[in-house]
Amino acid sequence: MQELAQAYWPYFIIALLIGIAVAWWCFVALRRTRVVTENNDVLDEGAAPAARNQALIDAPPASFLAAEPEDVAAPAPPAGSYADDMTRIKGVGPKLVTLLKDLGITSFAQIAAWDDAEIDRIDSKLGRFEGRIRRDDWVTQAQLLASGDTGAYEDRFGKV
Amino acid sequence: MPIWFELIVLLLATYAVGFGIGWAIWGREHKGAD
Repeated sequence: MQELAQAYWPYFIIALLIGIAVAWWCFVALRRTRVVTENNDVLDEGAAPAARNQALIDAPPASFLAAEPEDVAAPAPPAGSYADDMTRIKGVGPKLVTLLKDLGITSFAQIAAWDDAEIDRIDSKLGRFEGRIRRDDWVTQAQLLASGDTGAYEDRFGKV
Repeated sequence: MPIWFELIVLLLATYAVGFGIGWAIWGREHKGAD
């Protein structure tokens, strides 16, 4: 072995250097680039953007600036009525409640007062729920629920 | 053992030593006192 080392020492030096070079390549060159992000404070760009942001924060909610209701003919909730739990009507689930609310219908009294023309009008706006009003007889249900006649309601439609 | 085989083994060993030196210099994450 000693003879080999003495005879081929340049090769050993080269092998050593290659080992060091490969280690450098593995541990230094292949390292992922570190992304240095500067945390730009909005105030660094001047006070104007901060002032604008603050104005947006302080602005009233957009709902206050809502346009007029698109359907002027929609009946306003009768004076003195309050929002009922519309899901008590069989056939009305959370999605329909939202839909009806968007149409301005939030109480049993409103539905109880519908005539055929009104039923058709509302029905046409229900989209995939079209036909439910008559199928589930919302008007009768609403009339019974509005009057509080749970006995008659249960006789006809089942448990409230 | 053939002489070339011995030579290769020694060269590989030298390479490994070089790699170890490189690891000691650049590879260790925590370079605190041993």
